[in-house]
Amino acid sequence: MDFDFFFQQLINGITLGGVYALIALGYTMVYGIIQLINFAHGEFFAAGGYMGVILISYLASQGLHPYACLAISLVLSMAYCALLAMAVEQLAYKPLRQASRLAALLSALGMSIFLQNGLMLTQGVYDRAYPTEITSGGFEIGAVSVSYMQIFIVALTAALLVGLNILVFRTRIGRAMRATAQDKVMSALVGINSNRIIAITFAVGAGLAAAAGIMVGLYYGSVNYTMGFVPGIKAFAAAVLGGIGNITGALVGGLIIGMVEIFAAGYISGEYKDVFAFIILIGVLYFKPTGIMGENVDDTRV
Amino acid sequence: MKRLLVLAVALLALGLLLAGCGGEEKKAEQVLKIGTMSPLTGPYAADGNDIRQGAEIAVEVFTEAGGMPGFSKIEVFSEDTACDPKQAVAAANKLINEKVTAVVGAYCSSSTIPASETLAEENIIMLTPASTNPKVTERGLPYMFRTCGRDDHQAPAAVKFMKDVEGVKTIFIVDDKTTYSQGLAEGVAAAAAAAGIQVLEHDHVNQGDKDYSAVLTKVKAANPDLFYISLQNSATGALMVIQAKRMGIDAILMGQDAVYHPKLMEIAKADAEGMYCTFGAIDKDAPKFKEFLSKYQAKTGNEPGAYSAYAFDSATAYLMAAKAAGTTDPAKVREEMLKLDFTGASKQIKYEENGDSGSNYTVYKVQDGKFVPYWNSLTGEKY
Repeated sequence: MDFDFFFQQLINGITLGGVYALIALGYTMVYGIIQLINFAHGEFFAAGGYMGVILISYLASQGLHPYACLAISLVLSMAYCALLAMAVEQLAYKPLRQASRLAALLSALGMSIFLQNGLMLTQGVYDRAYPTEITSGGFEIGAVSVSYMQIFIVALTAALLVGLNILVFRTRIGRAMRATAQDKVMSALVGINSNRIIAITFAVGAGLAAAAGIMVGLYYGSVNYTMGFVPGIKAFAAAVLGGIGNITGALVGGLIIGMVEIFAAGYISGEYKDVFAFIILIGVLYFKPTGIMGENVDDTRV
Repeated sequence: MKRLLVLAVALLALGLLLAGCGGEEKKAEQVLKIGTMSPLTGPYAADGNDIRQGAEIAVEVFTEAGGMPGFSKIEVFSEDTACDPKQAVAAANKLINEKVTAVVGAYCSSSTIPASETLAEENIIMLTPASTNPKVTERGLPYMFRTCGRDDHQAPAAVKFMKDVEGVKTIFIVDDKTTYSQGLAEGVAAAAAAAGIQVLEHDHVNQGDKDYSAVLTKVKAANPDLFYISLQNSATGALMVIQAKRMGIDAILMGQDAVYHPKLMEIAKADAEGMYCTFGAIDKDAPKFKEFLSKYQAKTGNEPGAYSAYAFDSATAYLMAAKAAGTTDPAKVREEMLKLDFTGASKQIKYEENGDSGSNYTVYKVQDGKFVPYWNSLTGEKY
């Protein structure tokens, strides 16, 4: 196992980690603002992937340029999932805001099952294939092959992350989010509409998950109604690993989980990769229960 | 007033419902009940639904041809196993409660084996259209039949092809650790070693994985002549094929009977071109297959899946045997089952004493988005 092998796995790991990070951001933001672990989040990812394949197939059949299809579908799917998340929040979480955390958690689990089955009933049990014309192609550096999709995933993850940082730290909405996260009652007293801020947080998180869903669909070639479950769990682990409630933490956690998985599969065996990802999680939580970036919560928490 | 009206409507609806039930009871029809069990949800739902539809069409065809004497109709009860042993046993118990006389299923060998034990206690005949693990028919259960082939025939057939036709010297094997896929992969590894083919590595992935980049990087580094893919799902098989091509792996790709499915090409498209799969030979010009095909397409609007024809033949075999026996008594039906020798939609069906019906593995090659028969393992010749 030589240098090329290592670099190839590094690229694989960064790509997978980028996807996990995007999904983890939604978990972290929602947790940061209302301390709810939104188990239905993985389903927004799946719904985004499906919306993407439907839109891209339709637009491509209209003779649009592949990149235009991709851009339009990306924006529309993100918007769709944002609306879906706001509806879910209204329906399943808002009525339970004063109830115990367990009630909201159960509601989230129920919502996850409901959305997954909804996808199954409306879209069928078969995998749906993404058009492959957009995603093929790449280049080689020595013996290391890099596909355009991998670059696209990493670039889009970075762009969305920068955008999110601007939203949270440079805008009025972001300031309101951070204030609501710190103290809902007090921020409401100074005139912040906390219900609106919570809805926006859900929408932004789900939009990011939808982007991840499309990228996964393009990268791997197909989507399936069960696709949200496993990445959802992994992204949750990534959010906890990074320090739940922390945006940079979600990115770091996602990259770590992605890398560990790929390197465990590459150097040990594919069957143990999940085990190692979760061993790292347990190890970090044992020695640093707040997660890697769990300090200074007040500054960076959404 | 409004409330009264609602109440009245509700009572009326209830009354109609009860009246409906009563009417049904009075007729006292003799219904022959047949069960199917297969994964109708989850990652294997594609194959599972193929099996259910195959059996339903067999019943439809059989009913049109005159049905079963003494029974006014034949009804199919379908249960979902989700390819989970516990749920398979629960499905078996549900079918027992429905008083089915035979069950077509299941799909995953790991579901078929425990479910067949439960069904055996009630002397219910089980015909599997898809479970290829040798253990299925090796436990001495009198009412267990298998319409598809066996892994211990499939593995040597695949290896013979690699050596004789492709002149392969090194292979890399990946499976996803199910009873079926791992058993088959181990069979291939053993047969390859015996045939003098070097197994560079036998690695595993997890069920439900989407990202295979790590293991494929290994394959690329090992640079085998042939990459053997043993996954229990055509959709994940397609993902692996796409990613292998993108990774620049130029080894010959070969899959097995669970990877063999029209959905593979639908997802992998051009990336699947040139890959090989082992599957039982199906004579697509046979009249029985054509009849099955036209019915299947008319009813479902889809191409038949990998196991549809086997499910069709399994149900047909049972119905023919029961008709010949003139009863649903399992011992007598079993006697008739063993006497059967007919051309089904999938192959010539003749059950042996242990319930097997022989294997006829053929290597298919993907050409222009279709599986084309390429090499016959029984004759050792190309088509």
